[in-house]
Amino acid sequence: MAEIDEINRKITVKLVYYGPAQSGKTTNLMRLHDLLTPGMKGEIMTLETQNDRTLFFDLLPLGFKTPSGWLVKLKLFTVPGQVAHDATRKAVLSRADGMVFVADSQRSQSINNAEAFQNLEENVQRVGLNFSHVPLVVQFNKRDLPEAQILSEDEIRQRWSQAPWPLVFSSALVGEGVRETFCKLLEQVYPVLDKSIALEETHGVDRQSFIAAVMGG
Amino acid sequence: MEITPRPFDRELTIQELLAGISLERLGGILRVFLGGDFRLLGADGSCLLGSAGPLAQPRHAEINHDLEVFGQLESASADESRLSAAAAMIELMLRLSARYHMAAELHIETVHADYAALQQKHAALTESEARYKALSEELEARVKEQVKIIESAQRQLYQAEKLASIGQLAAGVAHEINNPIGFIRSNLSTAQQYVTSLKRLAEPMKTGNMAQFQSAWKEADMEFLLEDFAALLSESVEGADRVTKIVSDLKGFSNVDQAEEEVVDLNDNLRFACNVLAGQVKDRVKLVLELGVLPKTLCLPGHLNQVFLNLLLNAAQAITDRGLIEVRSEVAGNEIRICIRDNGCGIPEGNLDRLFDPFFTTRQVGSGTGLGLTVCRDIVRAHGGRIEVESKVGVGTTFTVCLPIG
Repeated sequence: MAEIDEINRKITVKLVYYGPAQSGKTTNLMRLHDLLTPGMKGEIMTLETQNDRTLFFDLLPLGFKTPSGWLVKLKLFTVPGQVAHDATRKAVLSRADGMVFVADSQRSQSINNAEAFQNLEENVQRVGLNFSHVPLVVQFNKRDLPEAQILSEDEIRQRWSQAPWPLVFSSALVGEGVRETFCKLLEQVYPVLDKSIALEETHGVDRQSFIAAVMGG
Repeated sequence: MEITPRPFDRELTIQELLAGISLERLGGILRVFLGGDFRLLGADGSCLLGSAGPLAQPRHAEINHDLEVFGQLESASADESRLSAAAAMIELMLRLSARYHMAAELHIETVHADYAALQQKHAALTESEARYKALSEELEARVKEQVKIIESAQRQLYQAEKLASIGQLAAGVAHEINNPIGFIRSNLSTAQQYVTSLKRLAEPMKTGNMAQFQSAWKEADMEFLLEDFAALLSESVEGADRVTKIVSDLKGFSNVDQAEEEVVDLNDNLRFACNVLAGQVKDRVKLVLELGVLPKTLCLPGHLNQVFLNLLLNAAQAITDRGLIEVRSEVAGNEIRICIRDNGCGIPEGNLDRLFDPFFTTRQVGSGTGLGLTVCRDIVRAHGGRIEVESKVGVGTTFTVCLPIG
């Protein structure tokens, strides 16, 4: 749940990029860092890696000032994808306000995707969130790979036709679909924030200006 | 010590971020770098490092961290670029410190979660261990119960085997007694007729007519009658003596279960057992006894009779048609050896080792418990002796019972 600091007039929102190992979560964050121009943008903090694999998490802070003079801070995290780091994944997922599930489009990764998604569902419940209400966007990444290697968009759409979450196709490596994914997440996060801290009424930030302030440009 | 984890991603203060850094050294470095006094102020304006009092006409540089202004660096001596370079350096330090804090606290959080998970597993394991323990105790109890049942069944079988040999013995004894009783009965009915004849002589004798009496005497063939009467009476006495003897021998078997030790000549026991066998096998088997002089032995005669009878019955059963059983007794060294040899079918070599094992039998189900030789071995062992067997298929079998003297 978003953290509200009345004294320092600050709202901190936590967003988490989840998904199987090497599906492109960190790449998503790096592209967002390059592509977004919000009011405030920090550097990516990479905690620890081993052979290009995240061991703890990556963190990208973004923020803007509301007309009311409050600071809205968004902290974007990635989790380590490998099965072994479940305790870390659960800790990072705690208190999240929204999440992106970054799936690997490669046919060979279908089982890993399914297992990681199930793990997300389990962990969401374990940290006390309601999986059917939590803002979530599903992103199928690596669309730049050869067609033979990846599931077609139709196949994926068909498989996810019953799922309520927005589906985005992306190629984080070349920067496609990354902004769109993040935008779809913000669209879902805004109503929840607005409900809890009256963003529009008290702070003068409506949905559109919220998204524009975070995304920039 | 219990560490309560704090959220790793919480907002950190500048005080927390500076906590791991030696402020004394940082102060010294900044003083040299900035060329004089300086002040490091928190976001709320409190002085964290440097001169306590305000500086005269200082320059300011913001210290930013995590999108927020965390504090100010003030110096009167340093120029703008030097001051902002110093602030940037402090920002770098804070960033490193934040990185450390987050990693450490995330680590504590995960260790905590892992520990909780382990404790849960441990509790589950303890519970399942307790369940298995209870199960194994229950199993043990049931096994003990089963063993008791089996043991009691075995005891009953063992007892039944003893009784079975006594039954066979009874059959032999009945035969032995039947014979004399038969002719005693026959003699007595003849004697009754003789008494009737004697009564008939009474009338002529009372008349006093000697001629009439003599004629009746002759007619009744009294000469022969009296002679035969005496003979059949003495024969009956002899028969009754035989019954007495058999009954007295039988006492040797009657006290099988009330074991009382007696001093006996084992040859008597062998003879008796042979007599019992002879009644059963009749002419089919020839019994040859070669009994040497034996010292008197303190033993349980009833039990040993059972052994001898059992071995003799086995020998008789080994002989399918006609055959020979030799019974020999002798003293060899400090022991008495009793051999019972038959020329029957013999025992296959593979069965010899198992011969005395409980329930080992080659006979058809129902016709033997497989305990006969086990009982024999136990009795002989109880007397401090041993029982040996030699056999060849088609040639015959010899059982040797060795008992210590004295």
